[in-house]
Amino acid sequence: MSDRRRVNGPAGTTLPPVFDDAVFEKLDTRNGRSRPPNATRKLFLKTGVTPSASGSAYLEIESSAKPGVSGLKLSCSVHGPRSLPRSAPFSPHIVLSTHVKYAPFATKQRRGYLRDPSERDLGIHLEAALRGAIIADRWPKSGVDIIISIIEGDQDRETSKLQGDEVWDMMNALSGCITVAAAALADAGIDCVDTVAGGVAALVQDAGDGSTPSIVVDPIPSEHEQILAACCVAYLPTRDEVTNLWFRGDLPASDLELYTSIVEHGIQASKNANRVLIDCLSGTVG
Amino acid sequence: MTAPMISLPAPIFAKISPHPFLVRNLTRSSTAEHPPCRTNGRATQEFRPVRINAASLSHAHGSALVRLGDTTVICGVRGELLPVEHIPQFRPVDKEQLRQKGEDGGDGGDGIGRGELRDYDLLVPNIELATGSAPQFLPGVPPITLAQTLSTRVYSLLHSTGLVEARDLRVWYSPKEQKRGEDTEMGVAGDGREEDMDEDEERLVAYWVLYIDLLFISYDGNPFDAAWAAVVAALRDTGLPLARWDPDREMVVCSKTERRALNVRGLPVACSAAVFMEKEHSESGAGPGDSGHWLLLDPDRLEESLCKEVITMVVDCSDGETRIKSIEKQGGTLLGRELIRGYAGIAERRWKEVRRAME
Repeated sequence: MSDRRRVNGPAGTTLPPVFDDAVFEKLDTRNGRSRPPNATRKLFLKTGVTPSASGSAYLEIESSAKPGVSGLKLSCSVHGPRSLPRSAPFSPHIVLSTHVKYAPFATKQRRGYLRDPSERDLGIHLEAALRGAIIADRWPKSGVDIIISIIEGDQDRETSKLQGDEVWDMMNALSGCITVAAAALADAGIDCVDTVAGGVAALVQDAGDGSTPSIVVDPIPSEHEQILAACCVAYLPTRDEVTNLWFRGDLPASDLELYTSIVEHGIQASKNANRVLIDCLSGTVG
Repeated sequence: MTAPMISLPAPIFAKISPHPFLVRNLTRSSTAEHPPCRTNGRATQEFRPVRINAASLSHAHGSALVRLGDTTVICGVRGELLPVEHIPQFRPVDKEQLRQKGEDGGDGGDGIGRGELRDYDLLVPNIELATGSAPQFLPGVPPITLAQTLSTRVYSLLHSTGLVEARDLRVWYSPKEQKRGEDTEMGVAGDGREEDMDEDEERLVAYWVLYIDLLFISYDGNPFDAAWAAVVAALRDTGLPLARWDPDREMVVCSKTERRALNVRGLPVACSAAVFMEKEHSESGAGPGDSGHWLLLDPDRLEESLCKEVITMVVDCSDGETRIKSIEKQGGTLLGRELIRGYAGIAERRWKEVRRAME
């Protein structure tokens, strides 16, 4: 059923443009990672982009040198704390509601306006990450809305084959969401035990199937041949706590060392993001 | 004992008693350094400066970011292909006929072109406010009335101004040209082929559909002016990839490297104002002479919530003379013929500012 509250366009289905393959191969130059394995991309963070909200922030991750690769662009606004509606049951602590939405023009394929399951999933992960940082019992019977619009997703326009790797993109998006939401929460003046920031690390294989995999931070799927496993960590640096951990991939259960090493690299990436976050906040808030 | 004096800072006063607050600001006794002004510090006939950034998104075919004070809107234009066999009740278009009418080559007739745009719904503008852009716009609910109205207004204005031409959106298949190309490559003389002229005729295979998505990042009044400026700026930035029909695969393929810019006709600019009445609860029967009123250009969120009568005029001065493309006025009886005529001059001033920002 079509959504009658929006302009829906033609009745027939429209197709996204298909590009000519012959020209395509020439352009597809996979030149690998341009940074050292333990370096994250540059991050830009700014608070106060939506003056009418209680708190807001904008985050942009530098796109890598290749043209056509977009960096992540996120805008976050925080509304609240405000009283819960009368119909809501009593809550002794603050109720977080998180919304993450891709803009229709954020990814290679056009997205619809209704939230799809992956966006809901991102919202739930984000909520888990923030719940550990907020001092929730300071605001009984109140709620706060955290809304993130992904203006530009971290996706490569040039990759010919869809690698079925959207989940790796989602990890990068989630880590950005966590960082930007923490900045917006601080801008809104909501008490937190610490600033939480997200970081991603991955186990990648660069040269063929037989080669030994290596661990990198802040991976871009198009820069690597294959990603074996990745994890997104939300980390509180001064308390040395992980509030959310999202691991995905295929690792032998015997090799616990490898697993902890990936998580540690994720924490490293999160610490890098946290430094930017602190710089940004100490410049504006206080 | 005297009661203690209560003094409130301005933002709190604005919140608890917005109407008297705005009236007091506007009727303040004039001094040299503090002329009476609106609560936001602007004179009544003063716009907020507009800033436009084009081409900032990489996945869209055209994009623009427009800032109007604290109102920020992003527009992304993305083309998708609509094959003619997906169109119910498709009327084939003859290229020869178009050529005779001057539709295809020169700048011209809009009869057929606009019909196609409207009949096949080739322009799809949508406005999303529920991004937390203001406290009253929260996600998780269907688009509110304001968002629906704005989308519809942009949609109808896109069609009535004829900003986009249908010929930019048509994808043709001309067997002659492509065969000629193949012949020279293979070195075969195409003697026998000239006989089947029917199949050599150019035919229309698909249309581009332009999805125009607008996302409000921050909302502080006057959404239509900002949204419309963003649509125009994004369309001016739009370049669609060159598309051709591949007869072997029976589909349209696009060129990765070559883009063709969209031909945007004119530069219509929207200019809105709100009428603010001195009396807060005036009866509908009261004449305009009873109380003072002000015309507030480019109203912000506070002013919008206090004004009922709103006028939006869309003008285009790109031909050298001012042409009014649309006038919309609602919610009151104060703006008469003279005021609206005078308003055209204000809109003209606004047009110059926006054009400067576009370039």
